[in-house]
Amino acid sequence: MTAISDTNTKTMDISDSANVYQKLQQWLVNHPIMFPLLLIIIVCLVVGTIAPSFWQMANVFDILRASVIRGLFALGVLVVLAAGGLEVSFTSVAALVMYSVTMLVTNYMPELGFFPIMVMGAIGGTLLGVVNGLLVNTLKAPSLIVTIGTQYAFRGFLLTFIGTALFMNIPASMEQFGQITLVTLTNDAGFEVKLPAYVLVLLAAALLTWFILNHTLMGRAIYATGGNPDIAERLGFKVPQVQLFVFAYAGFLAGIAGILHVSSNRLANPFDLAGTELAVIAAVVLGGARITGGSGSVGGTMLGVILITLVSNVLILVGIPSTWQTAILGSFILIAGLFFCFTDKKQA
Amino acid sequence: MAAQPIEQALPTTRDSSATAFIELHEIHKRFGGVHALKGVSLNIEPGQIYHLLGENGCGKSTLIKVIAGAHPASSGHLKVNGETVSDFSSIKALSLGIETVYQDLSLLPNLTVAENIGLSQQLVKSNGKLYRKLDSAALIQTAKQALRIVELPVTPTFLNTQVDRLPIATRQLVAIARAVAGSAGLVIMDEPTTALTKSEVDNLIAVVRKLQAEGVAVLFVTHKLDECKEIGGIGLVMRDGELVCQCDIADLSKQRIGYLMTGREIEQGRYRAPQQAGERLLTVNQLGKTGAFSNVNFSLAKGEILGITGLLDSGRNELPKALAGVEPASEGTIQLNGRLLSLHQVDDAVKAGIGYVPEDRLTEGLFLDKPILDNAVMGILDKLRGQLGLIDKHRATEHTENMVNDLAVVASDVKAPVKSLSGGNQQKVLIGRWLATDPQLLILHGPTVGVDVGSKDTIYRIIQQQAESGMGVIIISDDLPELIQNCDRIAVMSDGRMKTIVPVEELTEQQLYTHIASGNKATQGVAL
Repeated sequence: MTAISDTNTKTMDISDSANVYQKLQQWLVNHPIMFPLLLIIIVCLVVGTIAPSFWQMANVFDILRASVIRGLFALGVLVVLAAGGLEVSFTSVAALVMYSVTMLVTNYMPELGFFPIMVMGAIGGTLLGVVNGLLVNTLKAPSLIVTIGTQYAFRGFLLTFIGTALFMNIPASMEQFGQITLVTLTNDAGFEVKLPAYVLVLLAAALLTWFILNHTLMGRAIYATGGNPDIAERLGFKVPQVQLFVFAYAGFLAGIAGILHVSSNRLANPFDLAGTELAVIAAVVLGGARITGGSGSVGGTMLGVILITLVSNVLILVGIPSTWQTAILGSFILIAGLFFCFTDKKQA
Repeated sequence: MAAQPIEQALPTTRDSSATAFIELHEIHKRFGGVHALKGVSLNIEPGQIYHLLGENGCGKSTLIKVIAGAHPASSGHLKVNGETVSDFSSIKALSLGIETVYQDLSLLPNLTVAENIGLSQQLVKSNGKLYRKLDSAALIQTAKQALRIVELPVTPTFLNTQVDRLPIATRQLVAIARAVAGSAGLVIMDEPTTALTKSEVDNLIAVVRKLQAEGVAVLFVTHKLDECKEIGGIGLVMRDGELVCQCDIADLSKQRIGYLMTGREIEQGRYRAPQQAGERLLTVNQLGKTGAFSNVNFSLAKGEILGITGLLDSGRNELPKALAGVEPASEGTIQLNGRLLSLHQVDDAVKAGIGYVPEDRLTEGLFLDKPILDNAVMGILDKLRGQLGLIDKHRATEHTENMVNDLAVVASDVKAPVKSLSGGNQQKVLIGRWLATDPQLLILHGPTVGVDVGSKDTIYRIIQQQAESGMGVIIISDDLPELIQNCDRIAVMSDGRMKTIVPVEELTEQQLYTHIASGNKATQGVAL
């Protein structure tokens, strides 16, 4: 009891403004999920004031639709990050899986239904994730390095051995799935805006990830490994098994994301998705996960994804120049760093 | 659940050692060419307290690792509850109720109190398999039971507190709670009191007594002889891989233990007569730092050794950091040789002639992976600069070899990484680095934390030698015998003030402790 009262009296000495800042910081560290939420609210209020046309349901649909692929990736990154790793190969995994599966199905079984196609994508992604996990375990190298390597390797394999040509005539079932609509609205400009059914895939993935992280021993083992792998090992957690799982799971989600990407775009472009890695990692970090591992939540990650989508996809709809988007995102990430990293230092 | 009385768990025991929980018989352990344990035989009985003493490198850690199943013995038998255990391993040891609280506590910083305590049991239940649902109710239940034993709160807030937000003393108790969460028969504690203040130690001792009453055996690994004596129990002294003594700790004098550990006589009295104040070196006036300490006034003469002590939150840790420019003071003045110093960063202090050996040498002082040589010359790179500004390797090596000899650092080679040295020798390297810069004032923060008796003696001799030659020395420590043995005057801090400065003549440990404890209301209860 004494320590807490002592720190309180100590902070009281500090001037009021610093006190407010410290309190805010402490509060945010205790509730990391509020950080992206606050930023989302601020962005909405600012944009809504500048351009009242922002306030329409159609924009919510746009944000949700545009968040699906990034959201699936982000859930994978979250799980790897929580275990203390970093994963940047997911776009290559998704591209390799989506292009190979689409090509295979079109050429050999064009009548295949969507569900088996998605299962193929999930299996393919998982296998590539297992490759990542095995490499991390055997090379004992930092996972960032390993996945930078596999990112290039997977992409190189795709472009060299599978193909570089745009693939337009995708299987009918994939095309149909991308068109299934939950709700249709007409926006202010008179266009139809649809909420596609595949947002439910993200919802399901988020629920699954939440369950794994919070209600299984594997979930605790993931955070334990991210907290301190040596101690986790000493306490009897099988760290290599945890590593294998998180990379396989990230691959699994990337595989599904790849298939959804083809369905929604109605084409398979092997050059797609590359270069979106940092935005995904930024979303997870904005959602309150520390880059050093051992923390992060599904809720925060989803809010981080929505924030990124809001800035990069929606602002342009209300007439804010796209050049501003990058600057705004950059400043958000710096603010996140300011809040979360400084407290880390203090605690250490 | 807390430990069951062990007697009930032993229906089939035989022979004379009917009550022993663990029996070690002629245990040998070899690592390659190193013979770390040379035939150790030992019975650990339920409800008994053991103190494992010995210099660093004597085989203490190896012995506890053998008992905890982390290292298999090279030869010899190990019996638990009277039965020989063949495939002994960490998991096996845990399932037999042998728990270890390592010095680093092995807590997962980012998980909650409840998870840290209860997860191990879930793992044992699932046999290490991770694809299982987490039983949150059982987890909380386990945690609550264990927390009650160590008398920590069982409120949901505390259960859900992340461990890295807790003060170190509370973490210690959480680690112990985890150890007793299973049905422990033996709890091994590796230097549990290093980071604790006296009242926190008392708290820990109370918990140990409770375990003892429930029939749990406790094995302390420690360097603090006074504490062992206070706790009582059986002293196990190791030297060079052998158990040289197994007897009631009350029958062993400190001198006797020192002799048993080192094989040589260790000086116990003061190292030199208290000095009369000479020429003034340091004057500290109205020094303060927001939130840590305020209005601190004292002076130090050349050749004088001043001790600073106090409880953990008394400001005694922040004051030396301010003097060394690590965390600069916010008000007041510091004068060295009559010259006013403005210390904004470590470099300012170094240039002014102030050396600071930090409390945590592992994270603040040494480059553990680097050779002794690199660590030793770090402070004097300027002096070693040869042509083209490159470091003269020959002179650097020579310097380091001299230092290793002067300070009696036990090391195979100056190119060996510092982390390969024992705690005491690491500390000597760190002190040597500062001595090389020829400071006028040397501040030593906890100079012998985690250092064995033999190295302590060497370090004290070095400190005294430097003071003799006119260096001013400040020692910050909560090792009271250390302060009394070495210092001329001792300053006691409390609630951010320097409460009193007492000359060491005729001062007893008891009197000093009274000074520290009185006037501070924070001496009772567990810090939360």
